[in-house]
Amino acid sequence: MQEYSSQAAYDRGEAVCVIGAGASGLIAVKNLRENGFEVDCYERDTVLGGLWNPQNQHSPLYPNTHLVTSRSQTEIPDFPMPDDWPDYPSAAQMLTYLTSYAKHFGLSEHIWYGSEISNIEPVEGSRFEVIVKPAAGNAARRLRYAAVIIATGHHWAPNLPAYPGQDQYRGTVLHSSQLKDASRLRGKNVLVVGGGNSGVDIACEAAVNASSCVHSVRRGSWHLPKYLGGEPADYALNRLGARPKFLRRFLTDRLLKGPARLAARMGVDVPDRGPTGEEPVRNGRYFEHVGDGSITRRGEIAHLDGFEVAFADGTEMRPDLIVFATGYRPKVTAAPAKLLGIDGDSQYPKLLARMFSPKLETLAVAGLVEPGVGVLPIVHWQTHAIAHWLHVRKGDPERAANFRRQVVSESAQYEVEPGGASPRHQLAVDAEAYLASLGRIIDTLEQEPAK
Amino acid sequence: MSLTAWVRRARTPAPVAVAREFAYLEPADLFDLDIKDDPEASPALCCTGDPAGAAAFNALWLKRIAASGRYAAAVSVRGQGGTAVAEGGVEARAHDLVQAAVNVPRQAVLIGHREGASWAALAAGRYPAAGLVLVSPQKFPKQPPKPVGNPPVLLVVSESEAQSKEAQAVTDAYGVAPLTFAGSPDEVFKGPAAEGLLDAVLSWLANKN
Repeated sequence: MQEYSSQAAYDRGEAVCVIGAGASGLIAVKNLRENGFEVDCYERDTVLGGLWNPQNQHSPLYPNTHLVTSRSQTEIPDFPMPDDWPDYPSAAQMLTYLTSYAKHFGLSEHIWYGSEISNIEPVEGSRFEVIVKPAAGNAARRLRYAAVIIATGHHWAPNLPAYPGQDQYRGTVLHSSQLKDASRLRGKNVLVVGGGNSGVDIACEAAVNASSCVHSVRRGSWHLPKYLGGEPADYALNRLGARPKFLRRFLTDRLLKGPARLAARMGVDVPDRGPTGEEPVRNGRYFEHVGDGSITRRGEIAHLDGFEVAFADGTEMRPDLIVFATGYRPKVTAAPAKLLGIDGDSQYPKLLARMFSPKLETLAVAGLVEPGVGVLPIVHWQTHAIAHWLHVRKGDPERAANFRRQVVSESAQYEVEPGGASPRHQLAVDAEAYLASLGRIIDTLEQEPAK
Repeated sequence: MSLTAWVRRARTPAPVAVAREFAYLEPADLFDLDIKDDPEASPALCCTGDPAGAAAFNALWLKRIAASGRYAAAVSVRGQGGTAVAEGGVEARAHDLVQAAVNVPRQAVLIGHREGASWAALAAGRYPAAGLVLVSPQKFPKQPPKPVGNPPVLLVVSESEAQSKEAQAVTDAYGVAPLTFAGSPDEVFKGPAAEGLLDAVLSWLANKN
């Protein structure tokens, strides 16, 4: 049983609780305040910036992390990044950007650091009782809020594979988030496992730092360089969206012909679906390193044994260091699973329009999507919609009920069929379809009420 | 800014980046003990259609705004004052203004004079300004974008312009009545008319922000 400093919950009236002060949380706080809500934001760590802050103890940053989507496609729509920054800013620049966003809109004074939300309980119909557990001391506090927005992200609970014999393996094993410094790779025979963006980036770091690098990849994926046709790749592809439909397919194929042929030459099979279906790997250096032999590609690991690693194709190796760049599991600890539509054996939330709780009207999640494009603008429009929704709900219950029906009908339209085997594919959406759907939702919310 | 406007913008090439001339004055820079820095007051960012750019505000505006306890800043958009000439029309100039606005430490009030007023109106469609002050607007867009975050809007025109087409367009777009000042719309940077105008703007700001 938990001990509470006071039995009675402190009522915060119409205020909204935001959980997490990473990029999504900050955007949520700013958009809610712009719509006139009082906001309390709780951050488990002692710093803001979430995954972009290396001081955050759950930070997933690895050596030399850079954005994989370009500046113009990643910046928050109403707060552009400085235009003298490079096309692909570094993690440190992202942190600078988020810090100046928080400072510019005066968000810091609404953030409570070192406060973990251990649970939220629905009370009095649509309100919530939030249990805040401070990092120091054990007296939890109870507060009541009109609404809760969860922005805890999905890049902090490492997803570790389990290969036969892994518990008896006696070499060094690190998850990508534990590899903070490229000097750990120096002079070693490194095995990098995982073909996502982090795996490919770390393989490239190992290619120049380690004495040898083997990259174990289970399945093919789209590989895009960071520049296509003289422009940042995501911008070049996005720009084709402005063309008429019959031309778009042709122009996209023409743009992707080079990268696809290179991938084929390197023995990577490309999924049938275009690179927009699931997050492509965006790294222009990787195939150069594969091409000059500093990275050796292998298939899946069959089993580990002592110091040996055996691959499915029968080859064996003896690495000094294994880096598992196997990504993260989506994990929401703040709210009871059933409120987010997690049921049965699936651990993935089933949300309406990828943001609203299917059970309660005033519970929403920001940023729990993998759109395959820059996620900050998506979160901006999500929280814009959530803030407007809370606003409409307060003033006009009839419109709110109609809106609810629309959201339910929208929810099915941008699912990417779950073909991928890795955890993040459960969160994948088709960016264009999802944005169109968000646009319809926002339009409905911003309409003048019918008199 | 609406989602569709953002989607369209993300698909158009960004204007060429230029090094912008940016002048600012903080209340503490005035070395006057009587002036109190007001941390709650929104900073003010000025721009003008005058080719002198930011330098035009040096004579009076920046000092007077800082003396009221606000962070005062002015920017020269491409082609003005100390900023290099670069390609791009009004959209690029609005981009310059937004870039200068995010550089200001806190959410800023945009003050635009002459063509600067139309750039400020476009910028306010992309950046949630704390307020929008349009002084004698010129070449004002027919359908200015809806300002993000619903900032308060102030329109100030000279007495001779009170009935002009521009003033009418702004009134229709934002639903605000113009405030008039005595004097010529091009002589707002110094002289008694300029002081009267500035006092009016600052007292409006003091009430709103």
